[in-house]
Amino acid sequence: MKTTRTLRRISQWVVFILFVFLFLNTEYKDNDVLPYAVNLFLRLDPLMAGAATLAGRALIGLVWPALVVALLTVALGRFFCGWFCPLGAVIDAADATVFRTARRKDAVPVSWRRYKFLILFFLAASSLFTLQWVFLFDPISILIRTFTVSVFPALNLVIHRIFDGLYRAPGPVPAISEPVYGFLKSHFLAFEQPVFRTSAFVGLLFFGILALERYQRRFWCRNLCPLGGLLALVGRFGLFRRRITEEGCTRCGLCESDCRMAAIGGDVAVTDHGECIGCMDCQAVCPEEVIHFSGKEGRKPMAVDLTRRGVLASAALGAVTVPFFRVEAHGKSPNPLLIRPPGALPEGEFLARCTRCGECMRVCIANGLQPTWFEAGIEGMWSPILVSRIGYCEYNCTLCGQVCPTGAIRRLPLQEKRKVKLGLAYVDRSRCLPWAGQSDCIVCEEHCPTWSKAIVLKEERTLTTGGEWKMFKKPYIDEDLCVGCGICETKCPLTDRAAVLVTSRGETRSTGVLAR
Amino acid sequence: MTTGGCPFSRRRFLQAAGGAAGALAASALFPSLLPAAGGKTVDVGVASAASPAERARKAVSLVGGMQTFISRGDVVVLKPNIGWDRTPEQAANTDPEFVVAIAGMCLAAGAKSVRVFDRTCNDPRRCYVNSGIKDAVERFARENRVEDALRIYHVEDRKFVRTAIPGALSIKEWDLYRDALEADKIVNVPIAKHHSLAGITLGLKNMMGIMGGNRGQIHYRLSECLVDIHRRVPVALTVIDAGRVLLRNGPSGGNLADVKAFGKAFASRDGIAADMVAAEKIFRLVPRDVGHIGKAMESGLGVSSGAQIRLVEG
Repeated sequence: MKTTRTLRRISQWVVFILFVFLFLNTEYKDNDVLPYAVNLFLRLDPLMAGAATLAGRALIGLVWPALVVALLTVALGRFFCGWFCPLGAVIDAADATVFRTARRKDAVPVSWRRYKFLILFFLAASSLFTLQWVFLFDPISILIRTFTVSVFPALNLVIHRIFDGLYRAPGPVPAISEPVYGFLKSHFLAFEQPVFRTSAFVGLLFFGILALERYQRRFWCRNLCPLGGLLALVGRFGLFRRRITEEGCTRCGLCESDCRMAAIGGDVAVTDHGECIGCMDCQAVCPEEVIHFSGKEGRKPMAVDLTRRGVLASAALGAVTVPFFRVEAHGKSPNPLLIRPPGALPEGEFLARCTRCGECMRVCIANGLQPTWFEAGIEGMWSPILVSRIGYCEYNCTLCGQVCPTGAIRRLPLQEKRKVKLGLAYVDRSRCLPWAGQSDCIVCEEHCPTWSKAIVLKEERTLTTGGEWKMFKKPYIDEDLCVGCGICETKCPLTDRAAVLVTSRGETRSTGVLAR
Repeated sequence: MTTGGCPFSRRRFLQAAGGAAGALAASALFPSLLPAAGGKTVDVGVASAASPAERARKAVSLVGGMQTFISRGDVVVLKPNIGWDRTPEQAANTDPEFVVAIAGMCLAAGAKSVRVFDRTCNDPRRCYVNSGIKDAVERFARENRVEDALRIYHVEDRKFVRTAIPGALSIKEWDLYRDALEADKIVNVPIAKHHSLAGITLGLKNMMGIMGGNRGQIHYRLSECLVDIHRRVPVALTVIDAGRVLLRNGPSGGNLADVKAFGKAFASRDGIAADMVAAEKIFRLVPRDVGHIGKAMESGLGVSSGAQIRLVEG
């Protein structure tokens, strides 16, 4: 009876490969419109969809696939975690390769699994009152974010370094390595080495999740994952439930000791259907072949590890937290460098919907979209911010709006996107070369993409540092034309802080032009 | 210069259009461009034709044909302007048909390989695609089954080589692109357009595309730097695309109202001579007054006065 377990393993592999395929294709590939729904995984996620809907106070059409997953879970049970979740697949792979032999037995009590429900109710209550924290714990968000800002850039760097070394190696080495490199470059590697803020931190958190396997199998999924908690609650009565034909069972206990979720408890015939993720291991290991998965119930199932007090306390805590975040001063005086992607909703709605998945950062063609640390407060962590010194918003590009899974960044047609102001540029006249009488320079003006240039040069007499009067072409910003794309700041030849900078003043979304 | 509402008054448009159209007539007034009476002269071909490809072919044939410049077995670097995320109509990049025509001539003249690249200002992928050059070159290579010989590719950081420039005016050393340094011949294929600092950008300015590093910094002494590059990386043939000319808001442009149909191409083995003629004919400028062209004329790297130029028109 190992067929179904094999099927489950194949499913995990296929889904993970699909995940990587969509991840790799979340990139400009000579086409203004991405041909695949690269944001599919987050749109399938009922937790994220629910939180964004609750907190954003809006029905989000984009996330309809999440409804399908929720209904399937009601019908079939918590299969998602065992068969579909890409983070679950990565955790299982880490377990099989690293932690299976190194695990400390019984380091963590089974009862800890109630924490995922407490986290779920906490998040649900705070979302209900507009504070969306789900991104901290949502497995899909975590995985895409980690791949985007951390794992993929690091992998890309290592591969480049290796092939750069081989490229400089003597003899026939480059002749062999270069074709391989070319193949990797056209199929897997980033076009240019991406860099991200928070990358080391995000990487550490991710490897922390994997390292928890040392203490318990599927530690994350059992004890912490609120998506797992949600699916456990709605999937308890699904059609596929573990059942034992008790006549043949020898009570050998193999199934119980082999269960990665500890969903078999006390009596081997008793199953916690909320915890069972249908991985089919028990069926595969049962020497008597008496374990089946079907809609019929053998014995009364285990109860959920939830107390009324626990539910109420965590929900109350989630709700009570909200006003403390709403009186943070950045609500009144936002960070002037908080430049949001083109088409971003007004800040409140934006944070309610933003999943912090990093898809927009992954697809941003100039690497300008970066995760925030605390520019938008603690609740805004990892939301996208345009850091123009790293990269600018490409005038003819609409990709971030195409990949946002919840519409936090609206999908705008190019004509409309070009009109969106992210902010306004200003010239730091004490540093700008011609303004300070240092030398000629028109780099900001030459790169300015608007079709009547928002940076205008005016030739003026200026006192040089040497004390003579000379004519210099000085940049002025036309604030009607400037869209705040930041290319001037990116390209300004001053190597540290640019002499032309963008702040969020004048951003379209705060004037309500693009507000719903 | 520009205002929030309509960026173009009719008067400005007519001035610009008239300026370009009248350039040819005006150039006859400059005796410097009359065929030199004797001595050693450099030919500059000035070609008029309906299509970009015809202009390119005619311009090159006016100065002796591609076999004059390219030998059998040469590794050729063809350097168009692919600097901007703009379409061919916006005239910020060399016309794709123009590029392909030159590439075809190089191969026909026996070049072993033709390599096409540019270090762009906008995202390289967008520039290669939206300029139309990537598609045109690849299609030509495919249709003529010369995929190995003719390739367009992106610039890679690791291929920039710190290069000393003996006798430099400004940059004693800089990171230059290895393929350009190692090529047997470089064919420079710029588009003529307005440039807010250099005044205009033609062949000399186009060679900035082989420079690595923080190019913004050389704008401090742009003219000298361009001459330094010209000194270190000699160009075998310059063919200037002046089919459509961006007259204002260069080098990136964008607005079609700034673009004027000019229908010409210029070619010369001497990049300085080509730039001088194009500056006069297209923009009605006195070459010596254009900063970097003036510096180049003083450099001794090519012609130093219009008297050394023989125009070949066709």
